[in-house]
Amino acid sequence: MLYAICDCDNCFVSCERVFRPDLEGKAVVVLSNNDGCVVARSSEAKKLGVKMGMPYYQMRQMYGESQVIAFSSNYELYADMTARVMSLLRKAAPSFFRYSIDEAFCVLPDMAMDEAKRWGEAQAAWIRKATGMPLSIGIARNKTLAKLAVSFAKKYPGYNKCCVIDGEEKREKALRLTDIGDVWGIGRRIERKMLDQRISSAWDFSVMPSEWVETRYNVAVLRTWRELNGMDCIPDEEMATRKSITVSRSFEHPVSDYKLLSTHVANFAARCAEKLRRQESVAAIVGVYIVTNRFRKDVAQYGNTLDYRLSTPSSSSLDIVAGAQQALKLIYRSGYSYKKAGVILMGVSKNDIYQPDLFEFSPERNEKRRKLDCILDEINHSQGRDTVILGSQQYTHERGKGKASAFKDIIRHEYRSGSPTTNWDDLIELH
Amino acid sequence: MFISMQTIPEYIKILDAEFGTTCSLPFASAIKAGFPSVADGYGNDSIDFNRDLIRHPESTFYGRVYGDSMIEAGICDGDIAVIDRAADAVDGDIVVAFVNNEFTIKYLDLGHRHEGYILLRPANPNFSPIRVNEDDDFRIWGVVAWTIKQWKKN
Repeated sequence: MLYAICDCDNCFVSCERVFRPDLEGKAVVVLSNNDGCVVARSSEAKKLGVKMGMPYYQMRQMYGESQVIAFSSNYELYADMTARVMSLLRKAAPSFFRYSIDEAFCVLPDMAMDEAKRWGEAQAAWIRKATGMPLSIGIARNKTLAKLAVSFAKKYPGYNKCCVIDGEEKREKALRLTDIGDVWGIGRRIERKMLDQRISSAWDFSVMPSEWVETRYNVAVLRTWRELNGMDCIPDEEMATRKSITVSRSFEHPVSDYKLLSTHVANFAARCAEKLRRQESVAAIVGVYIVTNRFRKDVAQYGNTLDYRLSTPSSSSLDIVAGAQQALKLIYRSGYSYKKAGVILMGVSKNDIYQPDLFEFSPERNEKRRKLDCILDEINHSQGRDTVILGSQQYTHERGKGKASAFKDIIRHEYRSGSPTTNWDDLIELH
Repeated sequence: MFISMQTIPEYIKILDAEFGTTCSLPFASAIKAGFPSVADGYGNDSIDFNRDLIRHPESTFYGRVYGDSMIEAGICDGDIAVIDRAADAVDGDIVVAFVNNEFTIKYLDLGHRHEGYILLRPANPNFSPIRVNEDDDFRIWGVVAWTIKQWKKN
């Protein structure tokens, strides 16, 4: 079994460039909500020294408007463009799992290294042509090595968008070239501890005895060590929990009834929204999946997943529950017993609209929303589905109606591009 | 958690974004004004433009036509072009290209390729063809699959 991690290159910048081909090769950044700070950079901007998270005014003091082009975030566009990429990947592989707005992995059957490389190159080229979105693919026998592979594919054009790490020689070379802090799953704190112990590369770490790792670090680090040594032990769900917010459950008794399933999904969504608010973030996409018990050969099998795009990034339970229910409605099929369901929030970004210094924002409205969310969460937990249905009826995603669009207007987005894929009034102009 | 098509035979693909919505019209088989029967062989009892006319939803984009440079091809100011990026552009196609910092809709003329240039031909004698030399910054953005024209204004 092979894992192919597919990652859009400089995703938000690439989305903007599809409709502004003149910006290819130029330094471009995308700003957070309210144009607060830099959240995405083109490789040219990185080379100029623009840092992630750099406040916009500070960046402007250093780089002129012709030197670095800035866009306000346009999640409507990013969600639509990434949905296109994901849909093509889903069609390309026997199994597929999206775990963030711009990343997914495919599980491929065992194949020769050059065959895997050809598959990856072909996918990257085809998706680039079809959608305009550049992406890089890393293929290996486990997710940690596939992550390493994709970072090589991004860094060196010679890989032609796809790097495969297979075999001892390639693995050793890759590990030697990778700083320990760049290994997936090794955070800042652990990196510092390792550097203190004179471990600076992924290779240094991988050759330590397992007892050495076990006595000093937690299970997660041990698993990373095992994966660096070629074993496959990080579960599929973990990709999502490291990058997005997810709540899922296996049901004790399989669920067939739509209303019951819908209530479950609403509760998962509300739980996700709570988590989201706790970390003061907003999400752009609500993904829902449902699946029957795939180990039961005697029951009819069905599973599906759908990503629902919010009209504006939100942390409101109302928006997120409504989105989840819309998605469920589209993938639900009667006549199946569902074993598991889950909600994944993607496109998670810091919600800096709550900064008190922003005079555009009405604290009153903020407070109202917050209260509403608290009450809704409470009712969702205690009362269940009727209230949730009321919420989704009141706040559909329809353009120009409901809170979502009213809310959108109070977010500052001075440099925002149009929505050429989702709004008839914003279509590209053909001369 | 991922969903495998191998273990789940009835995997159903839901199209993304705006193509997820469908608009079904009753199939009016009596209308035969030369509209290509793209739905032939589908065995559907309704026509759904998203399903029948959009071959690759992921690579289909829309553009609004400005000006009359393609008027003799029947493409007028205000029309909507349905652009497929996945289709390979061949000689004679109507394409959307990015030249001189704007998107342009023109006929693709590859007749002079061996002489080192190609032409983007307008369909209007008042406009001249755009000549693109080998070393010009030029790209074909997509191929026009359909155009949509609104006749009855509200």
